Amino acid sequence: MAASLLQTPFSLSCLSNLPSNSLIFTNSTLLSLHLPSRTTTRPNRLSLKANVSLTNNSPLTTTSTSGLSDNEKGKVLLEVKDLTAVIAESKQQILKGVNLVVREGEVHAIMGKNGSGKSTFSKVLVGHPDYEVTGGSVMFKGENLLEMAPEERSLAGLFMSFQSPVEIPGVSNISFLQMAVNARREKLGLPPFDTLQFYGFLSPKLAAVKMDAGFLDRNVNEGFSGGEKKRNEILQLAVLGADMAILDEIDSGLDVDALQDVAQAVVGLLTPTNSVLMVTHYQRLLDYINPKYVHIMEDGIIVKTGDISIAKQLEEGGYKSISPA
Amino acid sequence: MASSTFSSPFHLHRLTPTSPSTPKTRTKLNLRHTSTPTLLRATLSDPLVLQIAETLEDSISTLSSSSSPTLQKLRDTSSESLLTMSWPTRKDEQFRFTDTSFIKHSQIHPVSNPIPTSKSDLVALSADTQFPNLLIVDGVIVNCLSPFGGLPGGVFVGPLSSVSSEVISKRVLEFVSEFHDGDLFWSLNGVGAPEVTVVYVPEGCRVEESLYLRFYSSENGDVGSNYLPMSNPRVLVVVEKGGEIGIVEEYLSGDEDKCYWTNSAMEISIGEGGKVSHSYIQQQSVNAAHIKWTYVRQESSSTYEHVEVSTGGKLGRHNLHVQQVGPDTVTEMSTFHLCVHDQTQDLHSKLVLDHPRGSSKQLHKCIVAHSSGQAVFDGNVKVNRYAQKTDAGQLTRSLLLEPRATVNVKPNLQIIADDVKCSHGASISDLEEDQIFYFSARGIDSNTARRALILSFGAEVIARLPSDSLRKQVQNHIKGLLNPASK
Repeated sequence: MAASLLQTPFSLSCLSNLPSNSLIFTNSTLLSLHLPSRTTTRPNRLSLKANVSLTNNSPLTTTSTSGLSDNEKGKVLLEVKDLTAVIAESKQQILKGVNLVVREGEVHAIMGKNGSGKSTFSKVLVGHPDYEVTGGSVMFKGENLLEMAPEERSLAGLFMSFQSPVEIPGVSNISFLQMAVNARREKLGLPPFDTLQFYGFLSPKLAAVKMDAGFLDRNVNEGFSGGEKKRNEILQLAVLGADMAILDEIDSGLDVDALQDVAQAVVGLLTPTNSVLMVTHYQRLLDYINPKYVHIMEDGIIVKTGDISIAKQLEEGGYKSISPA
Repeated sequence: MASSTFSSPFHLHRLTPTSPSTPKTRTKLNLRHTSTPTLLRATLSDPLVLQIAETLEDSISTLSSSSSPTLQKLRDTSSESLLTMSWPTRKDEQFRFTDTSFIKHSQIHPVSNPIPTSKSDLVALSADTQFPNLLIVDGVIVNCLSPFGGLPGGVFVGPLSSVSSEVISKRVLEFVSEFHDGDLFWSLNGVGAPEVTVVYVPEGCRVEESLYLRFYSSENGDVGSNYLPMSNPRVLVVVEKGGEIGIVEEYLSGDEDKCYWTNSAMEISIGEGGKVSHSYIQQQSVNAAHIKWTYVRQESSSTYEHVEVSTGGKLGRHNLHVQQVGPDTVTEMSTFHLCVHDQTQDLHSKLVLDHPRGSSKQLHKCIVAHSSGQAVFDGNVKVNRYAQKTDAGQLTRSLLLEPRATVNVKPNLQIIADDVKCSHGASISDLEEDQIFYFSARGIDSNTARRALILSFGAEVIARLPSDSLRKQVQNHIKGLLNPASK
């Protein structure tokens, strides 16, 4: 994090992106303008302060007069700034300076061609060991996400549904969920659920995502169909809850009916304060879960941000129709 | 043993200047002249082996005055075979990876007091199961009075000495010590077994409840005392045509870190169309030596299912030999070995198929979670000339969780018949990073994740244990081993 904050030239360079990313970048631009003057002494603390001032203050001033427009938009939940990352093994650069701000209650979608880096972006956010962050910063709920271990990120309220979740033979779904829920309870200083208590806690959640209890006794993802795997991810989201859910291609490999089921389950989990970041190829998912913002990713950066209309444009004319400005 | 005395030159170099004649050599010389009756014997025999055999014989003679012809046959054939046997070294293929030197270098004493002095705590041991069970302490049944209400008529479970039926005596005499390919430890057991526990299932009889045989060592030495009491439990199971029984063979720990040597043997004869489901749970003390033989003889259309879960002992060695004596047999062998200490778990299995249409499946799984822990697997399936249409599969999977943890696996098929279907495979790995990440992405710390994955690795074998209570008990034991703090 310290490294990222000292890289002022980079953060300033993102100013050049301003025209294309108008909606979102007002804030991050401001932040990068504030930071250089402050980072010189105690970068760790200052980054937190900078973020606090960002979330509470009006975008136009650095003083504490709160702007009404910002309050309406809700608090900033996730702020990604100039994030760069490489594949840990080959050092091949995938993310080349991603900037993104997600506020409470917002639904965002990231679209892009295969290999544009959108799945890498979601994996980097949850701390996947296959990738190495080389620059930039990620603040989640006012804390430096990049300094947190993957399990801490999860406990802090960040959830990612895996594109192709791994099979874990010998561990049943119910005991996996129980471990995960008890890890959260431990973090909150609550006593762990025993199996019986846990079942009571789980039953209503299972009904909410329309899944039958037979699912629980099966081993985690073992022999699951594509649709079952996606549903299981959403079940985990329902059980664990999250301030921010990253849904990495939950639509891939699903037929229309299954897609509708999964999407409805996600919609059912939305609240005014939690946020969703969907990563997808296709517009059809967005028909069910309406995003406020759609971002187009290309070659490791977000090249365009707009509303649902650019997804429609994409559907009709392909990625060519969206000029990176 | 070979390693410490012969193959490490440093050891020898260091020893020679200070002690010109090593005490070991002197002992050997002494023995050769004093303790063996003839010179001829001495030249063929290993003095140490003879010494152990003699102390075993002495302990037996003081123990039981009346010895049945069956026991006599067992002892005679065993001591005869001992004459040509020597203590195994790592030059012997069967012990290439398994170091038995700590047993050899201990003061081996046959258990002197096979009837335990404090019976009360042992009765408690036998009371915590609702199934018919026998408690066998130092090779001797202590609760033979316990009611075997769960057993159907005609079934006999008890010591050889109390067999009254002539039919059973005859069959027992026929099968006891029928196996001739045993090693030193098999023969030592034959010499030192204080009695034979007999399980007899008559023709067509199906025993519903599993029979629990719980083994326990009452005598033990302190760590570092070099004192190693040795017991030789022996069981013979005879299942007649169409009979069925489930046997759970459990070796309990007793005091956690005490030293003792359990040298156990079980012979199982399964008649035509019969079935034996055999579970073998080894949870002995971390300083114990546990050497175990299982010999199984399968007649036509019989089924033998074996599930082993071994976690105890400084050395745990299981020799499992299955001999097919008729066609259409079904053999399933599943093993889970776990080394969380400085210990060795070893399975040497051999399945010999001499008749057509046998089918066999073997699964061996082991986890070594200690840097000086070791697992050994030598699984041999021999498909001889007349064993056409054999269907044999063998799979071994190992997890090495610490640097320098060792596994030596040798799954091997020897096929002479030409119309067979055989497969084998082996994999050795660490835990999958992807799986651990999946746990951490859901907020579960990596220690908990690793424990869950380790348990799940063994779950495939544990799931084959015959009862829910046994599965739970084994699982809890393993959980305790993996997470000592929670104990």
